[in-house]
Amino acid sequence: MKRSDEFYIGYQKEVGPGTKKLLKRFIWITVLILLTGAAVFGFFQRPAVNSTFDFGNPTQVSGVYHESPYPMLRVPLAENEFKEIVLLGFGKSGPNPFLKDLRERKGDLNGKQLTIEGQLIYYNGRTLLEIDDSQKVMVSGTGAYEQPKSMGTRTLEGEIIDPKCYFGVMKPGYGKIHRSCAALCILGGVPPVLVTKEENNREVYFLLTDVKGNPIHQDILPYIGQPSRLTGQVKELGEWRIMQIDVSQIEKLKKESSIY
Amino acid sequence: MGLDYKWVFWNTHKKAYDRLIVSGMVIYLVLFFTISFLTNPEIIAETVIIRAFGSLAIIMLHIILAIGPLTRLNTKFLPVLYNRRHLGVSMFLAALIHGIFAIIHFHALGNVNPIYSLFTSNMDYGSLTNFPFQVLGFFALLILFVMASTSHDFFLHNLSAKTWKRLHMMVYLAYALVILHVFLGAFQQETSVFTTATLFLGWLTLVSLHLVAAFKESKVDRFVAEKNTEGWHKVCPPEEIEESRAKIFTVKGERVAIFKYDGKLSAIHNVCKHQGGPLGEGKIVDGCVTCPWHGYQYLPHNGQSPPPFTEKVKTYALKIEKGMVYINPKAFPEGTAIPPISSS
Repeated sequence: MKRSDEFYIGYQKEVGPGTKKLLKRFIWITVLILLTGAAVFGFFQRPAVNSTFDFGNPTQVSGVYHESPYPMLRVPLAENEFKEIVLLGFGKSGPNPFLKDLRERKGDLNGKQLTIEGQLIYYNGRTLLEIDDSQKVMVSGTGAYEQPKSMGTRTLEGEIIDPKCYFGVMKPGYGKIHRSCAALCILGGVPPVLVTKEENNREVYFLLTDVKGNPIHQDILPYIGQPSRLTGQVKELGEWRIMQIDVSQIEKLKKESSIY
Repeated sequence: MGLDYKWVFWNTHKKAYDRLIVSGMVIYLVLFFTISFLTNPEIIAETVIIRAFGSLAIIMLHIILAIGPLTRLNTKFLPVLYNRRHLGVSMFLAALIHGIFAIIHFHALGNVNPIYSLFTSNMDYGSLTNFPFQVLGFFALLILFVMASTSHDFFLHNLSAKTWKRLHMMVYLAYALVILHVFLGAFQQETSVFTTATLFLGWLTLVSLHLVAAFKESKVDRFVAEKNTEGWHKVCPPEEIEESRAKIFTVKGERVAIFKYDGKLSAIHNVCKHQGGPLGEGKIVDGCVTCPWHGYQYLPHNGQSPPPFTEKVKTYALKIEKGMVYINPKAFPEGTAIPPISSS
């Protein structure tokens, strides 16, 4: 059987009919592969949560500053009703670089009434405020703030996340893909937070400190973004909880994170 | 064929080819964005960009890797091979957008250099499931960058076809790194059976195509010729070779193409000097052996490209005894003129 005499030369215009037919088929199959690929990879993504980052839309917030254990602002909402807002810095950093000038001028800021213009991050009843300019932090007096209330010792399973991304800046802001970013945020001064789920499937958030209640950053990096079991003293501060842990006692769990 | 270097020697087919590449990429991205924002309204643009360009690059890489074996199985696929380098560069650009956005998104604005962070922000190098998958993607992107930036005849000529080919065979290493990057990264968290199955199917298709093509080609290499007393290899009767075409035989570990044209037979080395294309799968056009890959041409009797071109391949002596073609396995230096023998 004599083979087809068609021979394709790229720099010549002619293309044989058999080659043309096959090429058309190849193009349609390729288009079909692209459409199927876009449908499969586009459709089967985990749904993102309705967390919010008010990027480019600054808000002025006033409240009493305290560091128990991380920089926070106790903001009055109504009579005897307050919200504890966690303060953060620009990018993957905590608020301290943006409070440095003020501390140098005013000394200890604990108990000072601050007015801060920043960008709000909020999800599931928790609010955080990103400060991107130290000039937008002002002292306007003094005020009272609450000390955390003890709730006893507990052992909990969950995932350690950085609250800046988890509560709105990134979606998803948890898990293996986001682990590097969470490590950088926490290393930069963002407080580490344990996310767990209660029996009613409600998420609970614990700001993590060392056993003495001091902030932890570097030491907790190997445990971020993976299912873990933590034991420690639990305290309550407004809508947040605080857990004082011994980092070396964190147990990594070989299972899928329950917060997904 | 060209004597000087230009960014691109445009022709009708290359323009049509590039239009199809751009259209295909746009169709994919538009559909991915539309589906993502319609079915997942809370998702953010950065995440969709990273995922859209990453998945597009993987699909394009599969298509690119399928082209080689497809052309070996059916030469009518050769037009797809002709401008494959543009497809490769386009795929690299998609992968680059994925990589740049991922590095900015996950590693920038911290208190360490983003590239340093990529290697150090997850130190679980000893674990499989917790392995820092970003590093795999980074090295894959680096290989694709080297390949894309040398996808030009300037590098092909200056590096030599052999070195250039070896360099570009690293695409298989890049593919392995990409697959590991996805399975140890995205698929650890986005655990849909459909996405995993899609990529597995792609891998399986590529492996099957390569195996079938390799089996087909191995038939040529398995051929063992009878030798006469002078050491010449007996290959076939001249009637087995079609007019203006060739048959390929392996002699002394080298593939040689024996061409029949105008009642004559000539033998030259099977490997084109341009990109290593199989000359024996080419055709005699305007009196020249024409490579099926990019149309490089050689005169069959001396293995030289027609002036003013300068490429040369080795030539071989042929003779006919008792109705059979014999080839002397000892090659002549590149470009040596050997008088053709009569095919009758």
